[in-house]
Amino acid sequence: MNKKQISITLGIMCLILTLAICVQIRTMNSANSTVSQTLSDNGLRDEVLRIKEKYDNTYRELENAQKKLEEARQSATQNDKNAEAKEQELKENNMLLGKTDVTGDGVEVVLQDATNVETSLNLSEQLIHYSDIQLVVNELKNAGAEAIEVNEQRIVGTSSITCEGNIIKVNGEKIGNPFIIKAIGSPNLLYGALTRVGSILDIVKDYGNKAEIRKVDNIVIKKYSGVLESEYLKEQK
Amino acid sequence: MIIIAIVVGCLIGALIGINMPMISYTYSGYLAIAIIAALDSVFGGIASTLNKNFDLKIFVSGFFGNAILSILLTYLGQKLNVDIYLAAIVVFVGRMFNNLAIIRRYYIDKWTSRKEEKNTTKNQ
Repeated sequence: MNKKQISITLGIMCLILTLAICVQIRTMNSANSTVSQTLSDNGLRDEVLRIKEKYDNTYRELENAQKKLEEARQSATQNDKNAEAKEQELKENNMLLGKTDVTGDGVEVVLQDATNVETSLNLSEQLIHYSDIQLVVNELKNAGAEAIEVNEQRIVGTSSITCEGNIIKVNGEKIGNPFIIKAIGSPNLLYGALTRVGSILDIVKDYGNKAEIRKVDNIVIKKYSGVLESEYLKEQK
Repeated sequence: MIIIAIVVGCLIGALIGINMPMISYTYSGYLAIAIIAALDSVFGGIASTLNKNFDLKIFVSGFFGNAILSILLTYLGQKLNVDIYLAAIVVFVGRMFNNLAIIRRYYIDKWTSRKEEKNTTKNQ
C-alpha cells in the first residue's frame, strides 16, 4: 500500500471516530439528567414503549374488526323488516352505552388551573380538583346530558373520576390541565344549569381558577376506549 | 501527508457530528462502548508504529472489528442480564493504559539517549 491509501484510510477512520464522539456527547447533553444511566433501566423504558405500541396496534385491530362486524350485520339485515328494527335498537343502545362515536348540539366546559398564583396563599385552591370535575359532570347529567366526555374520555356506566395523588384519572386514564368537558344535550338547558348563581363554575372562579362554558353545535364525542365487561351479571327471570 | 489527512478527517467528522441528528438515548450505551473500542485501537496503532510493526490491515480490522464485537457483546449481556459492557470497558481501558505506557517509555528512552549522546560528544 502506498502512502496515499494509508492517509485516506486513516482520515476516514478519524472522521468516523470524531463523528461518533460528537454525536455521543450531544446525546448525553440532551438526555434528561434525572433519567437513570444504567442499561437495565433503559431496558425497562424500552419495554414500556414496546408494550404501548403493541396495545395501540391491538386497539386498531379491534376497531377494524368492529367495523367489519358492523358491515356484516348491515348486509345480513338488509331485506328483513324484523331484523332491521332490531338493528336500529342495537344501534341506539350502543350509542347510549358509549360504544359508538356520537355527535349533536351541546356545551363545552373548560376548567383550567389558575395562572396568576398571587391571589391566594393556599396553592391547593388554585388547582382544579377531581371533585370539581365530578360536580360539573353531575350537574350536566342532572340537566339531561345524553353523552359526556372529559378530555376525550367518554363517561359511561362504569366510569370513575378519581384523584391519584397529583393527577386525575378518568376511566383509569390520566388526564391533565386544561380539562375540557363536552356534553351533548339541550344547549340552553345545560348552559343554564351551569351558569346559575352559585353553580360549580362560580365556585371554581371564586378560587381564582378559570372556568368557561359555551354552546357548541355538532360536538363530536368519541366512543369509550375501554371494554365493557360483565362477569357477575345475570338476567333475573 | 498522513497528519494532514488525520486533521482533515477529525475536522470534517466534528462538523458532521455537530450537525447530525441525535441518536436515541437507548442506543447511546452501545455507541459509547464502540467509541472506547475504537480509541483503544488508535492507541494500539500508535504504539505499534513506534515499535515499527504497524500493519494497516490489522489496524483497520481491529478498529471496526473491536467496535462491532463490543456492541454485540453488550447486546448479548443485556439479553442475558449480565453487564458484559463492564468487562469490555475494563479490557479496553486497561489496554489503552498499556499502550500509553509503551508510547511514554519510547519517548523517554529517546530523550535520555539523546542527552547521553550530547554528554559524550561534549566530553570528547
